[in-house]
Amino acid sequence: MTEEIKADVLLVDDEEQFLKVLSQRMEGRGLKVDTSTSGEEALEKVKGKDFDAIVLDLAMPGMSGIETLKRIRSEHPDLQIIMLTGHGSVEKGVEAIKAGAVDFLEKPADMNKIMEKISEAKRKRVLLVEKKKEAQVKEILQSKGW
Amino acid sequence: MSEHNEQEEEKNKKPKIYNFLRVLFHPHDFLGILSEDRYKSLKIRIVLIEAMLSLLPLFIVVTISYFWFQQILKDDFKNQLKWELENTKQSIEFFLEERVSILRFITSSYTHEQLSDQRTLSDIFTKFKREFPGLVDIGVIDADGIQRTYSGPYRLAGADYSDQTWFNEIVIRSSNLSDVFMGFRKIPHFAIAVKREVPDKGTFWILRATIDMKTLQKYASAINIRENDDVFIINREGVLQTPSRFHGNVLEQYKEIFSFPEDNLSIKEAGQSEGTCDICGYAPIKNTPWILVAVIRSSPYAKIPNIFRNELFFITIISVFFSIAVTIALVQTVVNRIKKADQAREAAIAETEHAGKMASIGRLAAGVAHEINNPLAIINEKAGLMKDILEGSRDMQQNREKFLSLISGIFDSINRCRTVTHRLLGFSRRMDISHDTIDINDALKEVIEFLEKEIIYRNIRLDLDLKKDLPRVVTDKGQLQQVFLNIINNAIDAVEEGGLIQISSYSKDEHFVRVSIKDNGRGIPRDKLKHIFEPFYTTKEKGKGTGLGLSISYGIVQRLGGSIHVESEVNKGTTFFVDIPILSETV
Repeated sequence: MTEEIKADVLLVDDEEQFLKVLSQRMEGRGLKVDTSTSGEEALEKVKGKDFDAIVLDLAMPGMSGIETLKRIRSEHPDLQIIMLTGHGSVEKGVEAIKAGAVDFLEKPADMNKIMEKISEAKRKRVLLVEKKKEAQVKEILQSKGW
Repeated sequence: MSEHNEQEEEKNKKPKIYNFLRVLFHPHDFLGILSEDRYKSLKIRIVLIEAMLSLLPLFIVVTISYFWFQQILKDDFKNQLKWELENTKQSIEFFLEERVSILRFITSSYTHEQLSDQRTLSDIFTKFKREFPGLVDIGVIDADGIQRTYSGPYRLAGADYSDQTWFNEIVIRSSNLSDVFMGFRKIPHFAIAVKREVPDKGTFWILRATIDMKTLQKYASAINIRENDDVFIINREGVLQTPSRFHGNVLEQYKEIFSFPEDNLSIKEAGQSEGTCDICGYAPIKNTPWILVAVIRSSPYAKIPNIFRNELFFITIISVFFSIAVTIALVQTVVNRIKKADQAREAAIAETEHAGKMASIGRLAAGVAHEINNPLAIINEKAGLMKDILEGSRDMQQNREKFLSLISGIFDSINRCRTVTHRLLGFSRRMDISHDTIDINDALKEVIEFLEKEIIYRNIRLDLDLKKDLPRVVTDKGQLQQVFLNIINNAIDAVEEGGLIQISSYSKDEHFVRVSIKDNGRGIPRDKLKHIFEPFYTTKEKGKGTGLGLSISYGIVQRLGGSIHVESEVNKGTTFFVDIPILSETV
């Protein structure tokens, strides 16, 4: 077992069974997991809460994975999204990365790999947040020149 | 599907053409050998039909001209015969007229009383005979038919002719020519009688001369005749007046049935089968009861000059030979072209079929892989959860190990499935091709290095024949190496320990570099050979091969714009040929 990571994760997949089991396993590894079975639901959840990472299935009925990814990225550009797919196609992977996903995993994925990617995503996110804060501090420092 | 229909339609068409040809030409049926190779039999049939079409008219023309020529010769001969008969007839007429004139002259020059004198008659007879040979005797007959005076070799003075037909006739006419007869003299002869009226006394007397038949015969034999021909004279009743060669002697009946010609000379033709002559000429002699007959049996006209016949024969043979040679050459070319076109078409159909099959299998594979991946993910996660739970709990210590090993078994299976589905997806995937400029030999060597351990371990001899200075090719090195790896791997699996693998590279032509990988392994049977590029087709033992290596290789080579094909003989080995384009075009 890898070291425990404390992170808020949102799982998006149309297969409820998959969601249930994966979230249980992730919770077992100390993550806080939220799930949604469609892109629309995920969009709603993202509005209300700040996630460290989102694991998003590429092939879903209704709003597709790519579509969901684009919508989330447009509203929350600093969210870290990891794509997951049953279609092991490089083409789709490239498309997803271009659309702003941080990483790409093929189903069935190894748990350790998922954990790795999540921790990586979290690190990036922390960095981003810190940079933002830094920038804010700088701004404050510059604007309020006392 | 439409292709299938087209094939069936073609199958229906073919028998129609076959039947048509069969009706047109039969030898195909009873010469069973012809049907073995349909192109060969087509050739033979066309040659036969062509030969028939061209030779038949030739033979007809030759035959017609031959008989036509014969007919001309025959007509020519007939004219010649006619002319000869005419001549002879005129000679005989002239001869007889002359005799009649002389007798007239005597009767008008001398009186009955003068001629009744034996000495005067003998004198006339002697002079007459000297000038005109053939005269037998001469006599004076009175109105009662009694021969009063006679001069000649016989004793016929006082002979009574009153009951003879010629006498009765001459009473009415002024002169008479008798048929040939034996008479008292017992030699064939004929008589010319001239009547002299004595108007003041109301009576008449007759001067009669008999002439030897031989004189007449001389004229008849003047006609130029050949061995089987016959010329003779008959009277109106068909009694022979001169001896003939084949139709009996003098005074015998001429046996051939014929209708007597009226007055004119006529040439008649009769069939050989009727037992008569080929050509018969009849020339009635004017003012006589006689007909000059020529029977020509030798048919000299049938003998067509050798030159003409040889020429005809020669020309015919040359024409036959030439037309058959030309026909064979033409047919050879045409049928070979048809054969090539057929083969090309069949190959093209097979290729498109194969490509279509591969494409549809690819789509199917992608679908299957995707559908399997999702439940596989669930199994994976569930097994993972079980493992997590077991690892986390301290209870049920005894079953823990057992459970963990079972779960790891599940993971192994999932991993195996994963590789299969991933390769399947790779099969259908349209990957981006990188363009590296590489040396094929270097790429090959790298692959071989990779496999070297296995080769050494199994004591396999590796024979490398790599042409130097091969043009460098622009292609995807990694993918091409995967192809080589697959094929060489297969070769290693195919050979026994101590087997031989030969790898060679050379320029196939200006556009392609060819790599051939040959093993002396067990080979692939013909029926299996056509399936080896299909996905999931494997001859390896279960679990060893996925049946995807060659199909993926096939796909890669196609995408690189090259081609791959295989030749194999059972127990002798298999050779794979990979043609790589020097300038890769991305398909």
